[in-house]
Amino acid sequence: MHETANIQAPPVHAPVVVCQGLTKSYGSGETRTQALRGIDLSVSPGELLMLVGPSGCGKTTLISVIAGILDQDGGTCQLFGQDVSRFSPRERVRFRGKNIGFVFQAFNLVPTLTVAENVAIPLLINGTRRDEALRRATWQLEQVGLGGRERDMPGQFSGGQQQRVAIARALVHDPRLVVCDEPTSALDHKTGTKVLEMLKSLAVADNRALVIVTHDQRIFAYADRIAHMDDGMIQETVRQQ
Amino acid sequence: MYKIAITMLLGDKGKYLGIVSGIALASILMIQQPSILLTMLSHTYSLITDISLPDIWVMDPQVRSSEDSRALLDTEVYRVRGVQGVQWAVPLHKGSQSVRLSNGELENATILGLDDATLIGGPGEVAEGTLADLRLPDAVIVDESGARNRLARRSDIPGQPPIPLKVGDTLEINEKRAVVVGIARATPTFRSDPIIYTTYNKAKNFNTSDRKMVTFVLAKAKPGENPEDVARRITKATGLAALTVDQFKQKSLDFMFQHTGMLINFGFVVVVGFVVGTAVTGQIFYNFTLDNLRYFGVFKAMGATNRLLLGMILLQALLVGLIGFGIGAGLTSLFALSTHSGDNIKLELGLPLLAGSGAAVLLIVLVAAFISARKVLKLEPAVVFKS
Repeated sequence: MHETANIQAPPVHAPVVVCQGLTKSYGSGETRTQALRGIDLSVSPGELLMLVGPSGCGKTTLISVIAGILDQDGGTCQLFGQDVSRFSPRERVRFRGKNIGFVFQAFNLVPTLTVAENVAIPLLINGTRRDEALRRATWQLEQVGLGGRERDMPGQFSGGQQQRVAIARALVHDPRLVVCDEPTSALDHKTGTKVLEMLKSLAVADNRALVIVTHDQRIFAYADRIAHMDDGMIQETVRQQ
Repeated sequence: MYKIAITMLLGDKGKYLGIVSGIALASILMIQQPSILLTMLSHTYSLITDISLPDIWVMDPQVRSSEDSRALLDTEVYRVRGVQGVQWAVPLHKGSQSVRLSNGELENATILGLDDATLIGGPGEVAEGTLADLRLPDAVIVDESGARNRLARRSDIPGQPPIPLKVGDTLEINEKRAVVVGIARATPTFRSDPIIYTTYNKAKNFNTSDRKMVTFVLAKAKPGENPEDVARRITKATGLAALTVDQFKQKSLDFMFQHTGMLINFGFVVVVGFVVGTAVTGQIFYNFTLDNLRYFGVFKAMGATNRLLLGMILLQALLVGLIGFGIGAGLTSLFALSTHSGDNIKLELGLPLLAGSGAAVLLIVLVAAFISARKVLKLEPAVVFKS
């Protein structure tokens, strides 16, 4: 693993995400839009947090800032005890590659690569040798119930299966945080439920947290906490029973 | 990830084949056209390259190229011999005569009349017969291409190929009998006329109308003498134009460039090939990148640096460039090879030409990669969160 002088290995049980007073806006002048208006949020290891709210409330902006893809305008956001905004762009990219996994609404599997190659991408980006990356990808595919199909192409899979491949890709490099953007919106209820069950069973671990952006009420029951967002602010956070 | 880049490229068969075809076509145009031009230009001074012994050519000052001929008096040969630094000087006649074939048809041929004593100016390679046989009565040596084609005997049976001239056959040159004593290998002239070698005195016999028969005086500088210096002395002493071999070749080339549209016409096709190749390759490669833009965004979100993504795109561009150029150069080479078996213009593909065309193809793919890479490098990874 590559470590730079600025990036430290965080304590295992420290909060995974701590955001304080987070603000973010787009545009300028009359067209300026305040996407985040002072977000305070924390996510603990082993927790599944859902961000819910109407379209345009800032959910995607918030997870983009948390994942280090976007810079905030104000406030702080610490990942594993470190202020990512202080990193250089290169350090931030490498930090993200090693510590965060992503699951997208549209699966985003490369259609011309086998599913094993798709799953191996985070490892390859981090510099893992190809044969080792494919071996780990194959193992991860078995964990999501797709063992034996590593040479198949994404187009040969159903929507639910493709999302399972995407989950395998998000977990293959053992990240500390998994960020999911509407992972079940493109799936029917039954399939979406199965995907969520798999995600929770595999992704939530003692040293890992899961943040899911969704407005699919059918899966609210799987959350440990639900943060309701509206107009760039967290209105309330509800702990699920 | 570089293997991933190649797999992504090869996986999109339509665009991959489109890019490779565009580069192959551009390569063919950029190699084949200059090759034809260079080969034709080399025929411009084929007489100079085939006659390798002399290092100075002396001629009428009005002569513009080796295809040109303005006759000199025989006495000019002696004047050149008398110049300091000249080891030897011999006459060469170059003219055009009508040749009557056995069936009565007339063909134009280039007559080269060589110095009777030394036969300097003769063909470098005599495939049948010997050069010395030119001293026999009525003797001529015919170039291989002329013997097989324009001077060949027409078959009596319709549809049959002509019967090539061979040693012992007779021709009629300007109503004078000529006996073929040899078949020679010579570089075709610019106009591709058959070449008939004979001695200087026999040439006079074939051409009774002209008083002056010397077209060029071929001279050799003495050992230790600089041919350019000797040439200058010849000019000063005789008032004739005396040029070294390289100077005469350059003069012939300059005449061709200035008085024909060859350079412009061929150059235009090469430029079109380059521009079309760039446009086609650039457009398809850009479309390929656009199709995969979302996935490049995913790679960015997952930690791929701009440097890695740029490397992937460059690798894709260089790969298609290499394959496309290989196909284009290969096809052009096959075409060039096919010309060597016939009697038409024989194309040569030299290393400098291939290197130049390769550099042009490299420029094409780098331009294509640059246009595509700009899009990817500016991409915000947050776009992957949009459905």
